[in-house]
Formats: sequence, structure tokens, C-alpha cells
Amino acid sequence: MTYLKDNEREEVKKLLVLATLAGRLMLKSGAETYRVEDTVTRICQSRKEIQYVDAFVIPTGIFISLEYKGELISYIKRVKTISINLNKIALVNEFSRNFVNSQMSIDDGIKEIKRISKINIYSNVTKALFGAIASSFFCLLFQGTKLDFISSFIVSFIVSFLINHISRLKVSFFIDKFIGSVFISILSYFLIKLGIGENLDKVIIGAIMPLVPGVAITNAIRDTMSGDFMSGLSRGMEAVFSALAIAFGVGIVLIFS
Amino acid sequence: MEIIKQFVFSFMSTIGFAVLFNSPKKSIVHAGLVGAIGWMFYYISFITMDSYVASTFFGALTVGLLGEFLARKNKKPATLYITAGIIPLVPGAGAYYTMLYLIENNFSQAATKGAETLFIAAAISMGIIISSLFSRSIKRVRQKD
Repeated sequence: MTYLKDNEREEVKKLLVLATLAGRLMLKSGAETYRVEDTVTRICQSRKEIQYVDAFVIPTGIFISLEYKGELISYIKRVKTISINLNKIALVNEFSRNFVNSQMSIDDGIKEIKRISKINIYSNVTKALFGAIASSFFCLLFQGTKLDFISSFIVSFIVSFLINHISRLKVSFFIDKFIGSVFISILSYFLIKLGIGENLDKVIIGAIMPLVPGVAITNAIRDTMSGDFMSGLSRGMEAVFSALAIAFGVGIVLIFS
Repeated sequence: MEIIKQFVFSFMSTIGFAVLFNSPKKSIVHAGLVGAIGWMFYYISFITMDSYVASTFFGALTVGLLGEFLARKNKKPATLYITAGIIPLVPGAGAYYTMLYLIENNFSQAATKGAETLFIAAAISMGIIISSLFSRSIKRVRQKD
């Protein structure tokens, strides 16, 4: 039995850490399971003579193990919150392509990943503004009137800030969505009582759109249909409970109104 | 006139969601166009076929194919365009009404609406998967040449 030299082992470990960091960043940004698995294995296979790499990715964690000169090394990383960030997915994707095709050092790679993870292209105000645009045009798409448009814009703008603050406390996605939808319904109710807006249902449908787990539902079904059952179940549960949180939130207010 | 209105509304709401999902600045307008064209296909096929599920499927297929096309052209992952692009098709209203009927103890209506919502979500996924299969098979054929 030949043992690895210490520096060799260090290198391979670093490579594994890099692959995990890249994979985790993608997963956290809401990338599909197959894309994360693909990226991780590709990064690992790009260096040295690694015969065997396998990655098992589910939305709540990454498990990688690889074999290098007869020694098995594995790494597990837990992922907690997922918030969709398409820019980061694109950047990590590009990074992994560059890393595989060039002779970038592993340390530089880790630095690059850390840099990407800190990028934030839009401020909270811009996001709230565009969230409000999305909601209000959605309201129009579902035959809302001009007044409904205005009130769902206002509601969505205010609630975006609120949810931002609540989600910083890192309680649970369920509580975030629940409180968000409670406030959406209360605000919409009062705006309509004030005469801004005509159809309560149209205003609420528009304003809850940013909370609705549309992406989670479609990704869940997509994962399941392509054979990633664990991911499908996990994302499906997230979607179901997000929908329940919204339903409870809206429902409680509607009962009282 | 109605079609132009629908186009603009779906374009704007997709753009809003693209920013909410932190899309890179360059891909926002593309995503908006993908979403709006997908919605157009949905809208027109809904007028002709009168089926939510089938027309959502065609809408999602359009979004998926356009997304894959743009991804190939700009060398970016297709999710950039697809994630925001499917948003107008997502059955948010369906989910809302399902819950509303549940609160009103109207369980049969809730079951109908809930099943429809679920099938619409499945139709979106089907559309996206089929379009990605297309692009993968094209890639495979090209690699063989």
C-alpha cells in the first residue's frame, strides 16, 4: 500500500473544497440539481489523475467523494437557505468552464468563488421597485383595473421591504411567507376600503406573486421527471409548505374581513 | 389591441421577476422577451383550444426553446431566461383560488381548482424538459459529426 505524499493530499483536498464551494454557491442560488452535480464532477476531474468522482446533490446538501491514487476522500456540505440568484449561477458556470479549460491555480479558484459569492448587483430598493412592477403588471395580466394596478404596486413595494427585514432574522421560510402574506392581505384590504383598487382578489393575486413558489414547484417536478427523486421531494416539500404559508396568511385575514 | 396589451403586461412582469431573481443586467430584456413571447403562445393557444393545461404546455415549450436558443447564442446557462420566462405561466391565481375555496369550505371546487393548478405546474415542467431534451440531442448530434 502506497500512501499519498502530504502535499499531494493537500492539493486534492483543496480541489475538493473548491468544487464543494462552487457547488454550494450554485445550489444556494437555486440552480438545478443536475447542473450542480455536473459542475462539481467537472471541476474535480479537471486536475490530476483522479479516476473516480461522484457527487450526490440534494437541495439541502452536497456529498462528494473522489478517489486519488487508491485513497478515497469525501466531503459533505450542508446547504440551508436557497434564494434565487441567476447572476451567481451564470458566474459560477462561467468560472467552472474557465477553470476546467485553463491552468488556473486552485487557490485562485477559491478566491474567485469567494469573490463571486459576495457580488450583489441590485440594491434592496431596486429589487423592491421591480418586485412591485412585476406584481402590478401581473395584476393587469389577470384583468385587474387601473386602480388595482396602483394598489398592488403599493402593497408589493411595502411588503418587499418588510420581507427583506424578516428574512434577515433567518427564522424560517415558512414564517417569512406567512407574515408577508398576512401583511399583503391587510394592506390590500385597507387600500380597497380607501377606494384605491376595486377587486380584492386581483390585488392580492398580484401582490403575492413574488412569494408564490412557482420556481420551486416547476423545479421539483422537473427534478422528479429527470430521475432526481430526492431533490424532487425536497423541493416539492418546500413548494407545498410555501404555498400553505401563503394560504394561511391570506386566509386568516380573509376570514376576518 | 388586447394582444398588444397582454404582450406588454407579460413583458413588464417578467422583467420585474428577472430583477427579483438577480438576473445579470444584459439578460433582463432577453428574459422579458422570452416571457412575453411564451405568454403570447399561451394566450393564442388558449383562445383556440380553451384548455389551461395544454396551452400552458405550449407556452412553456416556447419559453424553453427560446431560452435554450438564447443560451446557445450568448453562451450562458438557459436558466437565466427560463426561470423568469415561465413566471407569467405559473399558476399563482390558481393557488390563490384553491385556498379561497378551502376557506369557504367549498371542498369540491377546491379539489377541482387544486388539481388544475397541479396539472398546470406539471405542464410547465413538461414543456421545459422537452425543450431541454431537444437542445441536448442537437448537441449530441453535433458532437458526433
